[in-house]
This record gives sequence, structure tokens and C-alpha cells, in this order.
Amino acid sequence: MQDIFGLPVQTLMTVLLALFLVGAAIIGVLALRNTVMFKMGVRNVPRRRAQTALIVLGLMLATLLFSASFTTGDTLVHSNRVRALSTLGEVDIQVQSTRGAASQLDQLLGPGGRAAVYFDQTLVDRVRRALENDAEVEGVAPLVSESAPVLAPYSRLSEPQVSLLGVDAGSQAGFDRLKQADGAELSVRSLADGQVYISETLATEIGLRVGDKAQVFLSEKPTLVTVRGIYSEGGVPAAENSLVMPLERMQALTGNVGRINSVLITHRGDEIEGAEHTDGTLAALQPLLRGSGLEASPVKRDALERADREGGGFADIFTLFGGFSIAAGVLLIFLIFVMLAAERKRELGIARGVGMQRRHLVRMFTFEGAVYSLLAAAVGSVLGVAVGWLMVRVITAAFAQFNQEIVFDFQWSSLVIAYTLGMVITFAVVVVSSWRASRLNIVRAIRDIPEPRTSRRTWKGLLGTAALLLIGALLTVSGLSATSIALFMLGTSLLVIGAALLVRRLGVPDRVAFTVAGVTLLVWWLLPNSVSDAILPASLDDTGGIEMFFISGIMIVIAAVWTVIYNSDLLLRLIVALFGRVRGLPPVLKTSVSYPMQNRFRTGMTLAMISLVMFTLVVMSFITNAFAGIWDDTHRWSGGFDIRASTSYTNPVPDMTAALRTVDGLKPGDIVAVGSFSSAPVKAKAAGTDGEPANLNINAADDAYTDVVSYAFGSRAAAYKSDRAVWQALKSEDGTAVVSAITVPAKVNQEFGEQPPPVRLSGFFREDPIVPENTYIEAQDPRIGRVQRLRVIGVLDDVALSTGDVLVSQPTLEGLIQAPVPAESYFYKLRPGVDAVAATRALEAGFLANGMQAESIREEIDTFAGTNTMINTLLQGFMGLGLIVGIAALGVIAARAVVERRQQIGVLRAMGFQRSQVQLSFLLESSFVALLGIAIGIALGLGLSRNVIGGFAEQFPGVRYEIPWLQLLVLAGLAYLSSLLTTYLPARQASRIHPAEALRFE
Amino acid sequence: MSGHALVCTQPLAIIAEQGGIVLGVGRREKNAVAQPQATTEQMMDQPIIVAKDVEKVYDTGKVRVHALRGVSLTITRGEMVAIMGPSGCGKTTLLNVLSGLDEVSAGTIVLDGRPMESMSDKQRTRFRAEKMGFIFQSYNLMPVLSAVENVELPLLVAGSKSRDARKRALETLALVGLADQANQRPAELSGGQQQRVTIARALVNHPALVWADEPTGALDSETSGDIMDLLSRLNREYEQTFVLVTHDPSVAARGDRTIFMRDGAIESDRPNQRPTGA
Repeated sequence: MQDIFGLPVQTLMTVLLALFLVGAAIIGVLALRNTVMFKMGVRNVPRRRAQTALIVLGLMLATLLFSASFTTGDTLVHSNRVRALSTLGEVDIQVQSTRGAASQLDQLLGPGGRAAVYFDQTLVDRVRRALENDAEVEGVAPLVSESAPVLAPYSRLSEPQVSLLGVDAGSQAGFDRLKQADGAELSVRSLADGQVYISETLATEIGLRVGDKAQVFLSEKPTLVTVRGIYSEGGVPAAENSLVMPLERMQALTGNVGRINSVLITHRGDEIEGAEHTDGTLAALQPLLRGSGLEASPVKRDALERADREGGGFADIFTLFGGFSIAAGVLLIFLIFVMLAAERKRELGIARGVGMQRRHLVRMFTFEGAVYSLLAAAVGSVLGVAVGWLMVRVITAAFAQFNQEIVFDFQWSSLVIAYTLGMVITFAVVVVSSWRASRLNIVRAIRDIPEPRTSRRTWKGLLGTAALLLIGALLTVSGLSATSIALFMLGTSLLVIGAALLVRRLGVPDRVAFTVAGVTLLVWWLLPNSVSDAILPASLDDTGGIEMFFISGIMIVIAAVWTVIYNSDLLLRLIVALFGRVRGLPPVLKTSVSYPMQNRFRTGMTLAMISLVMFTLVVMSFITNAFAGIWDDTHRWSGGFDIRASTSYTNPVPDMTAALRTVDGLKPGDIVAVGSFSSAPVKAKAAGTDGEPANLNINAADDAYTDVVSYAFGSRAAAYKSDRAVWQALKSEDGTAVVSAITVPAKVNQEFGEQPPPVRLSGFFREDPIVPENTYIEAQDPRIGRVQRLRVIGVLDDVALSTGDVLVSQPTLEGLIQAPVPAESYFYKLRPGVDAVAATRALEAGFLANGMQAESIREEIDTFAGTNTMINTLLQGFMGLGLIVGIAALGVIAARAVVERRQQIGVLRAMGFQRSQVQLSFLLESSFVALLGIAIGIALGLGLSRNVIGGFAEQFPGVRYEIPWLQLLVLAGLAYLSSLLTTYLPARQASRIHPAEALRFE
Repeated sequence: MSGHALVCTQPLAIIAEQGGIVLGVGRREKNAVAQPQATTEQMMDQPIIVAKDVEKVYDTGKVRVHALRGVSLTITRGEMVAIMGPSGCGKTTLLNVLSGLDEVSAGTIVLDGRPMESMSDKQRTRFRAEKMGFIFQSYNLMPVLSAVENVELPLLVAGSKSRDARKRALETLALVGLADQANQRPAELSGGQQQRVTIARALVNHPALVWADEPTGALDSETSGDIMDLLSRLNREYEQTFVLVTHDPSVAARGDRTIFMRDGAIESDRPNQRPTGA
């Protein structure tokens, strides 16, 4: 990946490495100057190996999550790069006509139009001369490339879009060579007239073998060619389906003898290194190409950047959703060191007693922590790669149906970042907890007496409270002025917390102050959408993005845990009252619920971890469940059609309705309506905006389509009272257009590495119901530059995926292009009861010569739904890794409790507690915390999901709030069982403690 | 401070009488308090602990420590026996094996007519719950439970109903002078108060046998005297058998007899002249 968290990888890595090295240097110098402290600190590491293993396991989780996210991102970046490189190979720069869109349009409107983008082949020599002093340039080659359908007469299979490459056999130095699967090279020079090489993919797709004949439809009349060989690599720049022939033959076929339409340039180095010298070559070519109507495109660099952006976006999603688990992981690190400090309390007290300064204790503890951090970050980053590999397997399965090859990969830089990031976070927490541990009272530490409660009225406390209130006020005000609901909510929450601390100083009991604050925060963050819309300033509406999910999750978990912990005694009474009558349970229950409720800090931290992760899993379950429903509504996704098909522009179907009558396998009446789209490349931009118009493939619907289509609109121009009215207007009012949702900005940007749309309207949001009156797109005929304004009258529903970015009527497009554009896409509405899959096959067979590719829309939706569900499940699984954090916390606490309570266990055994009762007591204790955490998580998830799903429902009709009982039950059951398993061993260990042995520790 | 100090220095015997609380062997009813002497005489001669040739060896793999070397003794019901001796002589080990907290390497122990070696861990644990109470030098109270919750715990273990257990725990706390501190946690009590909670916990179940390992070891002499007054009185009035391990001759002197140990064996076993005015 090139960016992580929006920062360049190299910068991030440099900063983190610098921090790591500075930290390591400080530790090293301190260790050399304090060898005794160092030895005292690190001797604990090998001494208690089981405990060390547990600590390392706990500390590594945050690093593991980072590493797994980055590995996923690296893999997707790499896979995208592989895909990009497979189409470009060694080609780094491509010189072509600046009339890119125009040339496409020319080609579309007729074979003769192709000539416009061809130029004299002598340009190749001029380019060579311009670059001859550049040692980085390895090769310059002419190319003729076209796209056309290819038909295999024997198999009766066709491929509508095959890249045809005319390659100069004498200019192949530095470029990819055609190679067979066995590695043998194929020579273009040896091709006889009418012979071609084809790609392995094309051969497989349409069933061609060496020696077979194939028809190439560069015009209505096919050209017959013979397959001389099949290559598995080297046919670039082209898509997977490609065909290679000598340059001269291709020039002759296209009627462009002595002319080419591309000059290819390759640099030294491998496929990726070659892109690095792009700027130098572009600069050298600038004088030559100026005013020639040609431009040099950095195709390799652009493709790599796009690959990085898309892959990085995916990693960002995982890192963001893993944020809760990472937060829980950081809590666990803190908890582990707090408990380690508690364990060392006596030792630290004695150390202070014999004359050590506080700073010595900090160092001693830090040395030990540094060793754990080093180990944990190393284990975590490596295991993260393994987890990433597993995730990649799932992603591969999810995308298998789209022929997307996913190639596992991880970059050392990402591993270094994951390691140093984990290390830096862990180490920072170690230093803070070391400082906290050093602030002990010597006598209390040696005698293991609990610390007294601190005074409420210290100056430091007052300053802290004042600072909190001030920050809260500032955030609230800036949230309002910057129209950011996240800042506003965070600010108001800090004000509530500050107020609680303030009233506590004024003598209000802790329970009252913190309970009121906790409940207030819960109510504030869980306000139903309708209420919050009514009471919050309108400017803040819909300004929250995905970050609000994270912030609200953290805040409500803190509030809930706070409330529960400060009312633990009530809870305790309730539990004893409920279960106190069960035979044999009261004494066990008494101890098992008293311990966690007395150790508020530990319990609070563990509760926070478990509930945080459970909460996210519950919300994810709700989201997955809510969205599962939207796929069922085929009608909504299909716009009322059952089959979508496309034909080749080189051989369009002149009259589809008439042609359908001749298709075998379709009875009259099977197809009740056929709509069609014409498509044309134009230049376009939103009217009134600066900048150059971008290339846009504009679609034009015929009357049959607009009469039948049922896609809904998210926003409509005020004049149209219904969706149907908009469709009707598109048909009848010349110069109108409807646009896809993506062309209008959302109030909250939820794009992760997606390609921005070519046209982006402004002045309103896709959430707004009305399209402002003067919303226009300026569309330009790319050949002559003539501009036509298209009035935007509707923004389509998000699910209208087949309409393209801008849809107009066919007369409007003809007005723009000044020529009729043949239809290329067709939409078929079937009679109820007709098998869409069978009809699809019949259509493809019937329109073979037209290169028809047809898909059942229901099948497409199912594929899409399956992928979506798999990715959601993967996200949920990734977030579920956080559960390990919560469960590990329980294990750490239970293991620590066995050591801490050894004597007490002895007393209980002496008093008559059976072994099983001791074990049960520990298990119940963990169960109590685990179940409480699970319950809080589920309750909060239920609460917040209502709002989250409500928000989605506004955007995606069909999304419904339904409690996924089964999933919740499975989640809760898994979480609880795992926690039991984790605490089983310590509990068993506790039950095995011999009373006499335990009491000997007195 | 003053409140705690006042409570600590109050004569515990008076408090016990004011409380009008019943303690005794088994589950005697309140109206049975009036004639304890009759049962005392009948039972005094019955041995409650009989140990014969008890040996205890700790084998760490590298070192074998002979903690007890052929200890034999008999303690009769209602006796208060002190075990003394230098550190490491085997006092606590003897207490542990006699009470069934630890197992013997050789020899036999019969408690209340039941040979210990024939009892499983489960049976021994149940026996402890029903018949024994323990007092430790460092109190060993559950820090997370209040005084009354600590005291009621043995009753709950033995199967008493929560309400009954709470009632009896409060009565016993009143007996040891801690009625007002019932809801305080151990950390909020002084050392003497904590030891009295331990005593209340040891006695609340009316155990036949009370084991006390350095019961006054962590207390000042005045509080120590109060505690021993309380233990002597309870022993005298409710015929509970007390076995005390102590370093303190004045504590040992409060018992009926003192066993001196040295190097894992009994060096002497002689009756004490018990003070009468306690």
C-alpha cells in the first residue's frame, strides 16, 4: 500500500521507526546506566514462562489487528497491480491521439471514423530520436490496437470485446514477448498471412485451439483468421481476451496502411520500476507532441495509483471496523500492566523501602514491559500476516464469481509499520502504567493494604475538571460552527462528564454523580433519530459519517460501564436474591460476584472490552441482517426487467423486436417488453464548475425502456410529483437527464478508495428530496466541441446500477451527437413464469453474430448479494477478533486472581468449600463479568442499531430493523463459552490448591 | 479511632453476656444454655482427637523434610490445648494434619470417632464444614465481603438458609462485640476487630473443634488478652475443643494443657494451672 490512514507509507514508517529507535535508544542507555534495575526488571520474563506467554498473547492483539488489516490491504493492492500489469506488461507510456473520446465516438458511428485517431507511423522514429539520450528508455514500438467481437464458428461461441493488436516484430526490444504456457516464445515474424496468435483466456472462453478458424468482426463482414498459437503472457497492452497479428496486416485490415494509433514506450527495470521514470520521459516528449493532436499518457503510473487507491480503501475499511477491537486491545495492554504492577506491588514497596527512587521503579518496570512489548509486537505482526492470509482466502472466495484473481501479498513496510505501531502503542501504555505503579505508599505496598480513596478536593483534580469542561465547551462550539455532529456530540459528552466530576467535588455522592452522568450520556447518544432530528440544530443533520459509529460506540460503552460499576451493589443484591435460594449456590455466589464488584477498575476495564466488541458485533449482525432483505426485492434492483444484454457496436442488431421472433427457444409473448440503451462517449462536466470536462459514457434510453422502467428516484426536480413523471419527462422533454446517485455528493463521504465519478454535481446532496431548478450538465461532442446543456430532473436510487452515470433519451443523445447512435444494451421484461436463465441462453445463441452477452438480473443480484454477505461476514469475523481481547482479559484476571487469592482459597477450603465449589466460584466470577459484558454489548447494540438501521433505511428502501435473534444467540453463546474455556484452567488450578499449602503463605 | 479503641478494650465476656447469645456444640437450642455443665461432665472424658504415630514428610524431590516424627496424642472433648515450640518444630504442620487440611505420611488420626485416612477429600471437607472452625494469625478474612458476610459464610457452606445464616452471623458478631461493625469490610477494621470477626466466623457454626494458629500473634498484648478471655469463656461455656498453636506462653497458659514440640516430635505434654477468674 502507498497510504495508511491517509498518510504515505514511507512517511509513516519513517516516523514510527524514528519513534521506535529513539525509544529503544533511551531504554538501551538507561539499561547500561542501571544494569541492576535492568536485570531486576527483565528477570521476571523467563522466570514465569506461562505468565509471560499470557502477557505476550494479550499485548499482541492490537498489533495483530493492524498487521491483518495491512496484509489485506497489501494483498488487494497487489492483486489490483497484478491485474493492471497483466494488461500493460512492460508498457509504461502510451502516445495516442488526444481525441480519445472523439475517436471512440467516430468508431461507434462508423468504420470510417476510425481513421481520425490514426497518425503517421514515422512518429515512432521521431519519438525514438527524442528519447535516444535517455538511458532509462529501453524500447519504443508502434502499435495498432482495436476492439472487436471474435466468433469461433466451430464452437458457436463468441467474445464481444477482444483486443486486436497489430505488433511490429522489429520493435519488441524491452517489451513483453508472447509466451506459451510452457514458456516457449511465439514469434510475430513467423506469422503467415491470415494467421494470428490468441490469448489463453480467449481460447478457453470461446473454445479455440491451434489450427482453428475464427471470425473477427472489424466490420459487419467478418475476417477469417487461423489460430497459429496460444499465448499465456505477453499480449499487451490489452485485456485478457486478446489477439495478436503483424502490424502491417492489422494496418491493412483497418484500412490504415503506414499509420498507427499508438506508440508504446518502456523503461528499464521490471514492470513496476519502469513507472518510476515516467516524468522524465513525459518531459522529453512534450516538445515533440506539442500541437500534434497527440499526447503521452503515463498509463502504468496511473494504473498503479488506481490499484493502490482501491486496495488501500479496502484496508481502511478493515482498520476502521477493527478500531473497536484495537481500542479494546489497548485497554487490555493497560489492564495487563496494571495487574502486573499489582502483582509486583510488594516487591516494588520493598525496593522503595531499601532506598530506590520512584524513577528507578519506573525504569525497572519499563525494562520488563519493553521486553514484553518487543516480543508481543513481533508475534502480533507475524500472526497478523497469518490472519490476513485467512481473510484473503475468504475474500478470494467472495470475489471468485467475478473472475477477480486475488494474489496474497504483504509488504515489509506494512509489517514494519504494524510492528512499530504496536510497539509504540504498547510501550506508551507501559510507561504510563509504570509511572502509575511507582506512585505507591511503601508501607501499604509491603503490607499489601489497599490504597485509600483519594481526596476529591485536590487542585490537580479541579484543574483537570476545568480543563475537561473547557475542552467540552470548545468542541461543542466548534461542532456547531463546523457543522460536525461528531465534534458536537463529543463536546457535549465531555461537558456531561466534567459536570459529574464537578458536582462530585461539591459533595454529591459518587453513585449519584456518575449514575446520572452515565444515564445522561446513554440517553443522549441513543436518542431516536426522530428526536435527535427535532432537538439538534438542523445544520448538524446527516453530517455524521462512519466515524460517528466509532465515537458513539466508545461513548455509550463508557457510559454503560460507568453506570453499572457505580451501581454494582444493587446488581449484586439482585443476583443474590434471584439465585440465592439455589441449593449450595449462596456461598459460591457470594464470593464470585463480590470480587469483581470490589475490583471496580479491573472489572470496569474488562466489561468495557467485552461490551465494546460485543456491541460492534451486534451492530454488524443487525446491518448484515437488515441488508439481507434488500436483495430479495428483485423488482427494485432490476427496474422491472429480467434480462440485461449487450451486443457489439461493430455488429449491432438493427431491429431487436423483429429479430426476437427468429430466436430459437423463445416463444411469442415470452418477452413482453424490450428496452434499449445507446451509448456514446462525450466530454462532460457540471454546469457552472471550473475545470476541464471529463470523459463520460452517456447512455440514452429508448421509449420502450422509459415506459417500462420502475427505478425510483432519491431526488426529483420540484416540477415532477412522482418517479413515473420523471421517466415520462425524460422521454418527452428534450435535453433532460437523470443521473446516478454517485454523481451527487453525499452529506457524508462513505467512499473507500472508489474511483470518483466523471461528473460530480454540486449545490445539493443526494439525501435532499429536491433537485435544484438550475442543475445542468454540460455535455460536449468530443469531435467538434459543441456543448449541449442537459437539465438534471432526477437522481436515481442507489440500486439503479445499470443506468450508467448519466441517462438521457435517445433523441436527446442524437441531438447532442447530431447522428443516430445504434443501441448496444438491451433490457428484456419476461412474461411471468418464463425461466430467465433459459431465456438468457436462447438470446445469446440467437444473437451470436452480434456478440450478445446476456445475464439474468436475478442471478446478478444473487451473486452480488452473496459477495456482499461474505464481505460483511468477513468484517464481522475480523471485528470478532476483538472478542479474543475481552476473553484474554478474563483469562489474565482469573490467572492473577488464583495467585492473589491463594490464602483466601485455603481459608475457604478450610471452612468447608469443596474443590468443585472453589472451581465454580471462579467460573461464576468470570461468567458474571462475561455475561454482564455480553448483556451490555447486546443492549447497546440493540439500542444503537435502531438508529443506524433507521439511517440506512432512509437511504436504502427495503432495509429493515429486525433483531437477528439467532445470530445474537450464537454470538453470545460463543463469547460466553470462550470465556468459560479461558477461565477453566485457572479455576481448575484454584480448586487444586491444597489448603495447608495455601495457608502456609500466611 | 476512639470508637474502635473503645470497642477493643471492652471486656468481651460482658459483651457476650449482654448479647445473650448461644454458642455450643452441634445445634443446641437457645433454652439449652441454662444447663451446660451436665453435658460437659458427661462428655469431658470422651476423646475427640486421637493421633497415633503421625509422621509427615515433605519431599520436594531434592530435599526430604521430616516435619512430624511419630506424634501421638489424645485430646478430649472440651479441652483447650496449646501447642508450643520453636519455629519450624512442626506446630502448624501438626495442626494442619490433625484438622485434615493436610495428609499424613504415616500414622493414624481419628477425629470424633472417624478415622481420617478412610475419608475422601470431599468427606473431609464436609467434616470440616460441619465440625470445625479455624482462627488464623493473619485473620484471613475475605476482603471483598463485609464482617457479617464473612461470618455467615460457613453457615451458607453448611447449607443454612440465607436469612437464618444472616441472623446467626449478626448474633455471633454481637457476641464478639462487633454488632456495630457488621457491614464494614475487613480493611475498615482494626487488627483486633478483624481477629474477632475471624473468631465469630470460626464459632458461628457451633463447631466441635476450633483450631487456632497463632490467634493473637498479630495483636497487641491488651487486645490479645481480650481475645484469649473470649476464647476461654467460649471453651468453658460451650464445651468446644480448642487447639491453639502459639509462641506466647501467656496464651498457652490459658489452656488446659500445653504440648511442647521440638524437631517434629512432642517433647512434653503437661496440664496447666488454668486461671479461674477469666
